Amino acid sequence: MSSKRAKSHPAVQFKEVPIVKGPLDHFEKMRPEVLASVVEKTFEGYCNSSNGNYDLILGQALYQERFRLKRFHANVFSKTRKRNDERLWREVQAGLLRPSTEIARPQLLRKVLSHYSEEIGGHFDPAVYRVAVNLVPFGLSWMLNAASVKRFLPWDLTQSLESRMRIYGEVEHLKKLAQKGTILLVPTHQSNLDSILIGYLIYLMQLPPFAYGAGLNLFSNPVLSYFMGNLGAYTVDRQKSNEVYKNVLKNYSAEILKRGVHSIFFPGGGRARSGAIETKVKLGLLGTALDAQLDNHLAGAPKPNVYVVPMTISFHFVLEAASLIEDYLAEAGKHRYIIMDDESWQPTKVARFFWKFFSSQSAVTARIGRPLDVFGNFVDEEGRSLGPNGTVIDPKLWMTTCGQLRREPQRDREYTKELGKKIVERFHRENTILTSHLAAFAFFEILRRKYQDLDVYRFLRLSQAQRSMHYDEFLSKAEEYRRKLQELEEQRKLYLSEELKAVSTEEWVKDGVRQLGLLHDSPVIRIQDGVIFTEDMNLLYYYRNRLSGYGLSLLAEGQIGPGKDDSKGFLV
Amino acid sequence: MTAKDFWFESTVAVIGAGSWGTVLANLLARNCREVRLWCRDEEQTRAMTTTRVNARYLPEMILDPKIRIFSDFERIFETHVGAVIWALPSYACRERMREAARFFRGDEFLFHATKGVEEKTLKRISEILKEEIPCARIGVISGPNLAIEIARGDPSATVIASQYDEVTETGVTLLANEMFRVYSSYDVIGVEWSGALKNILSVAGGALEALKMGGNARAMLITRGLAEMARFGVAMGGQEHTFMGLAGLGDLLATSSSPLSRNFRTGYQRAQGEKLENILKSLGGVAEGVRMAAIVRAAAQEHKVIMPLSESVQRFLEGSVDIQDGIRSLMARPMGREY
Repeated sequence: MSSKRAKSHPAVQFKEVPIVKGPLDHFEKMRPEVLASVVEKTFEGYCNSSNGNYDLILGQALYQERFRLKRFHANVFSKTRKRNDERLWREVQAGLLRPSTEIARPQLLRKVLSHYSEEIGGHFDPAVYRVAVNLVPFGLSWMLNAASVKRFLPWDLTQSLESRMRIYGEVEHLKKLAQKGTILLVPTHQSNLDSILIGYLIYLMQLPPFAYGAGLNLFSNPVLSYFMGNLGAYTVDRQKSNEVYKNVLKNYSAEILKRGVHSIFFPGGGRARSGAIETKVKLGLLGTALDAQLDNHLAGAPKPNVYVVPMTISFHFVLEAASLIEDYLAEAGKHRYIIMDDESWQPTKVARFFWKFFSSQSAVTARIGRPLDVFGNFVDEEGRSLGPNGTVIDPKLWMTTCGQLRREPQRDREYTKELGKKIVERFHRENTILTSHLAAFAFFEILRRKYQDLDVYRFLRLSQAQRSMHYDEFLSKAEEYRRKLQELEEQRKLYLSEELKAVSTEEWVKDGVRQLGLLHDSPVIRIQDGVIFTEDMNLLYYYRNRLSGYGLSLLAEGQIGPGKDDSKGFLV
Repeated sequence: MTAKDFWFESTVAVIGAGSWGTVLANLLARNCREVRLWCRDEEQTRAMTTTRVNARYLPEMILDPKIRIFSDFERIFETHVGAVIWALPSYACRERMREAARFFRGDEFLFHATKGVEEKTLKRISEILKEEIPCARIGVISGPNLAIEIARGDPSATVIASQYDEVTETGVTLLANEMFRVYSSYDVIGVEWSGALKNILSVAGGALEALKMGGNARAMLITRGLAEMARFGVAMGGQEHTFMGLAGLGDLLATSSSPLSRNFRTGYQRAQGEKLENILKSLGGVAEGVRMAAIVRAAAQEHKVIMPLSESVQRFLEGSVDIQDGIRSLMARPMGREY
């Protein structure tokens, strides 16, 4: 198959990759200072904005935390954390019941802030990093050798990685900017494996290690927790919804960006439940990019700029697809509760993922998008913001009001909103469409035409017999979709994978059907005796959604914008 | 230093010396140190500088001494300009913006007071500004603002819409005075589209006047016209309540019944049988409604919005339907629910 033809960007090396040092290497030294300024900054924010009404702030946080702790069932690993949390909040409660002359409220608030910042703050151990970057390919290679006994080591390790990981896009641009300012990498998010994969890609691109936020639930796995905890990951607990926690988290993120620590955010907030590319992004953490840059300007820092670099990752299959789509369909799941224990971290599943990944000809495709500034403007190779018609913009002037460089919360929120919109747009444009995505999309849409009256829930419950069609019919219509995609690629609205570009209809369809959700218990789409059918409508829907938002759907013929539901509940 | 003090010490510019641009310059002059007014025509510039009136568009009003008039952008942007108000006809916007773009630094606040959209692309003026000028903070000024009445000092009100609070606040600081109230809004899309769409109905208002139709007909035109404006505006992303406000209903009321409106005069003369090109020649200014009628008809079809009134205006203007036939066919439309 043509996968051997496809080569990553030439700047990405797979052999003898040196470890590049960055500010994270000295993180342990600056950690106390970072945490202290996070506490200080958050505290100041409360002094300025709330007229010192600490009782209200603490009371609200206390209420929400007690509510959370009541429902939180700790396991072996999270037991200690829960106990510490409970102790803190008992103390806060007791303190609030006493008069403020006796227990000073500011001290109480500081205590909470320190507690949170300590929990959020990550660690970095260069030795662990060295081990990790060597372990990842070693682990992969071990799986590979076991999986491909028949071929018996025809490739060496790096070659095999090279053929499975494809990295395209603005690699060199990103590397240049990493010298000129702080990078905030914002990738699409589908799987818990994304963090590991991105971490490894960063190493392959010879960039210094990045800090990133990882869900607290991931830290409940001790091995993972050890690695992540020592690789610059800071914890994000999405169950803590109180303002105090959110402010500490934002200030932590801003603080490390300010100190030149390149970071990764998943701007979608979590893994895409529907399988679609993010159509909305969370603005809270994203806004810390502008915050950090503004602080840098005010302090006259030598490299003040923060560069926001979108990145897309395309998988033929996603380990946790089944539970994600179920969660999405259950409506209640939409960002409201977090699956604490899904299948993605069961060791057998992870092992099988790598096994299948390497025994098949599957590949992961990542694309580094065009870098943006904190307002969503493109940035040139020198790190300068580009305005309309290629003019150069001075970001300081965009933050100047009444002749003064200063913070304007409402303005800055709007700037971040614009940045968010731009990221969503870039995600769609920098997305690489794989054969499996198109096979799923085409099959789903062709089937939809036959049952136009059904809403999404009834459609997904079609009977076995109804979920099939003649293979020849499928081929010709699927090819029509490919042609539409080719037009979109010419208009630079998306990218097609190498496999989708040149080969015959028969070839790409076969590849797509074979690759589609390869790790699942049974293939998502099957071809038998001239009939093509699906075993799992939910999974089909999940993989199909990757192509929503391009106006290709039958349902997009109305006036519904990308990412929105139509009247029948499908993603357009 | 408060924002008011800051702006009182600042220089602002108005691009376009039509009747509205000239009035805006006079309003601004009360609240800042200097106003630079850009006028396309060199001769007119000289005349205005010496006579201190805009003889062509607004002979009744004496220019404030703080206003300086130039016909080249170099002079306008000679020293730093804090805010720029664009008051050009919609067809000229993009070209002028492109010419002036290189003079902008990035911290200027931009406003525009153009009631129209770009042909074919249907881009709103604020979108064009964003595409051509390296500034982020943009607002739109729109409302029932017949230039001559404001020049006379009659009480009036307007809306400034922007996503940025500091832009609307600046607009209020710069323009408001005891006879001019300035409201703010976040609905940029709604305000821009209401300004553009009401021009078409204003043409129809003029036509009704020529036919000596009474209050019932006018009321029907305004309410049903407003309904279709809002329908279209919402389809374009605006908010319905904006259309019930100053920029929508307010402007519609003012211009569909006032002979001071050029759109109104166009409809009036056209209904009396005058040829469209002759009317436009004699108007001494642009009737945005004529352009908008053509632009909106295509867009309405594309977005599947039913706009019977605007469509009739377009057909009446181009001469493919007689005014009486137009009214008959509108009245013969199937009856339905009001909402």
